[in-house]
Amino acid sequence: MSLTVDSVSKKFGRFAALNGASFVAPQGGFVSLLGPSGSGKTTLLRILGGLEFADSGMVRFADLNWLDMPARTRNAGFVFQQYALFRHMTVADNIAFGLKVRPRARRPSKNEIRDRVKSLLNLVQLPGLEDRYPSQLSGGQRQRVALARALAIEPRMLLLDEPFGALDAKVRKELRADLRRIHDHAGVTTVFVTHDQEEAFAVADLVAVMKDGRIEQYGAPTDVRRNPKTAFVSEFLAA
Amino acid sequence: MSKKFVNPTEDPLWLKAILGIVTVGFIGILLLLPLVLVFKEAFAAGVGAFLTAIVEPDTLASVRLSLMAAVIAVPLNSLFGVAAAWCIAKFDFPGKTFLVTLIDLPFSVSPVVSGLIYVLVFGAQGWFGKYLIGHDIHILFALPGIVLATIFVTFPFVARELIPLMQDQGRDEEEAAATLGASGLGTFLRVTLPNIKWGLLYSVLLCNARALGEFGAVSVVSGHIRGVTNTMPLHVELLYNNYDYVGAFAVSALLAMLALITLALKSLLEWRYADELAAVHRL
Amino acid sequence: MSAIGLKIPLLRSRHVLPGFSLSLGFTLFYLTGIVLVPLLALIIRPFELGWDGFWTAISTPRVFASLRLSFGMSAVAALVDSVFGFIIAWVLVRYRFPGRRLLDAVIDLPFALPTAVAGIALSTLYAPNGWLGSLLVPYGIRIAYTPWGVLVAMVFIGLPFSVRTLEPVLGEIGRDVEEAAATLGATRVQTITKVVIPMLIPALLTGAAMAFARGVGEYGSIIFIAGNIPMVSEIAPLLIVTKLEQFDYAGAAAIGVVMLVASFVMLLALNGLQAWSASRR
Repeated sequence: MSLTVDSVSKKFGRFAALNGASFVAPQGGFVSLLGPSGSGKTTLLRILGGLEFADSGMVRFADLNWLDMPARTRNAGFVFQQYALFRHMTVADNIAFGLKVRPRARRPSKNEIRDRVKSLLNLVQLPGLEDRYPSQLSGGQRQRVALARALAIEPRMLLLDEPFGALDAKVRKELRADLRRIHDHAGVTTVFVTHDQEEAFAVADLVAVMKDGRIEQYGAPTDVRRNPKTAFVSEFLAA
Repeated sequence: MSKKFVNPTEDPLWLKAILGIVTVGFIGILLLLPLVLVFKEAFAAGVGAFLTAIVEPDTLASVRLSLMAAVIAVPLNSLFGVAAAWCIAKFDFPGKTFLVTLIDLPFSVSPVVSGLIYVLVFGAQGWFGKYLIGHDIHILFALPGIVLATIFVTFPFVARELIPLMQDQGRDEEEAAATLGASGLGTFLRVTLPNIKWGLLYSVLLCNARALGEFGAVSVVSGHIRGVTNTMPLHVELLYNNYDYVGAFAVSALLAMLALITLALKSLLEWRYADELAAVHRL
Repeated sequence: MSAIGLKIPLLRSRHVLPGFSLSLGFTLFYLTGIVLVPLLALIIRPFELGWDGFWTAISTPRVFASLRLSFGMSAVAALVDSVFGFIIAWVLVRYRFPGRRLLDAVIDLPFALPTAVAGIALSTLYAPNGWLGSLLVPYGIRIAYTPWGVLVAMVFIGLPFSVRTLEPVLGEIGRDVEEAAATLGATRVQTITKVVIPMLIPALLTGAAMAFARGVGEYGSIIFIAGNIPMVSEIAPLLIVTKLEQFDYAGAAAIGVVMLVASFVMLLALNGLQAWSASRR
């Protein structure tokens, strides 16, 4: 059940955001898309999440033609850079949202939902904050809620768009560790976008270094660091 | 003896006095005096005369007509406003600016012209005139024409409030809802609507006030048939022209009370929910 | 699940969020029916007799007089509204006193009050035997049933535009600019006239333009107080109504087109003004 991305391309107007990006990740793998702004990493992530449409290329995951499915049916949890929490809902309602919108047949009972929210809040280390509103939380807390919300739907793929970008260094390190722990516990295939190489290397099994819409090099962190394939990769990592 | 500290950016007392008097005087004379006069004239012959004027059959008919026009126009325009704001704020497509200008148009057109255009389409010499007469369909000088003119002059209200509001709020929350499996309607009802509810309420309030009070546009299309095609403002005109001042001002007092309630609610919403209204932030 | 993924043809809509076609379709349908088609009727009608027909309908002394009155008085009213609107905005934004909020809310009265109600109230107020009219009769000043009545009505309905456009801008001007002027030796009045007012020019112009546009098209508030004597105190919208009553559709439409063009020009000017004021920040 690996994730296969094959020659995905996308243009915005005349700007080629993605230019034939390809990689393969094993089931349960943790991939980081690393690169400077404009490298196409966020575009690729959004395509995986169903928030953008590719112009060409193919993605197969879980034996499915991934790009043909609307975002709604992919069951890919997405964590946004600016959290995108529902400002008018409590933390509990935010997290429970993906469960409440399920069709009746698959919807858990109210009690099940409540228990699920509770255990997720414990998982992201925010016990007891069910009734708070997003405006009452710090940035780090909001991001944890966003993560819990994405996890609530038991996603088969977890996608994170520079999730720690707006937070300070200490909070970033904590969240990074928590994310890895959650990933290892749930075994969910995870794709994580960042421009911070320390972060990518600390947390991922596989790193894809991107430039100008292409993946310049892809491999385990230690491999990429020791054997940079192109001048760009070695310069980017040296910085 | 040291001088008292004078804040350099504060106006001297004499200036404050002059400007203050001018302000209060101007507002009082220009704006408040007419309002006071309306109520004074309405009750000039006593409360009994006021009530008699109100329950007079033609007056009640005009109230019914005004309410009917509003009940039809306001929800339709709200639906339009939501639809227009949804496609303009959450999607990209060419021609958006033109669309927004078109939506703003009724605000810059004279009310008389707003009514005139429907006469040119549905009137006896209008485009569909012969067809309508042939099929005995009455648009002008009847409810449909009044509703159309009312719709025209009031439809920008909701759209003009919701478009900048929804643009400000962005697409993130709706995208998140999509990734969490929500359907289109589910996303709108659970995520978008709660975010725009105060803006919607505010603009519906203004839309309604304008719909009930519109005069020029409705005057052109209505035919002024007493007791049949006169809305409240038109009935006021009729009574005034017939020298029935108590009657005219009695109905005016009703409209003025509606205006005051609208103003009060509007101020309340602006005061308490400023963050959730685009209008407060727009220049 | 995989069967669904493989077998459904590529029929997907090209939008991530749902409802685009529905909302855009409805919006366009509504706009076309309510706005575009009727406007088209307005633009085409006067030209049924060609440009000559249009020009003949427009260039009568009566039409010219009505346009002169509508546009001319609106300009004067916009000026008056700008002056007093500035003073009022200054007091409401800069001073603190009990009842300030209430006074501020009253400014919106001309927005909220139906124009017919305003019309008969103003007419009664400024008539020779009215509360204010009677005070001015001894001085030979007549307001109601003269062009001055038109002016008063236009000032009434235009005031909120001026005040509401100035208030936010006044609120944003930082005190530090005024403090700088004070440290350089300017008196308060000098500071206001030489420093603050120039910074307000875009807002003043915008408010004036909006008041002007509103005054040109206004009908209900004016016709009761105006007198409506052709060539003297007859506003353009009233002339349109009169022509309609005489079944002169083309003539009415001709004046309507003139006013529509004026509205468009005002809209463009306003957009330009707002772009200019935004670029000055």
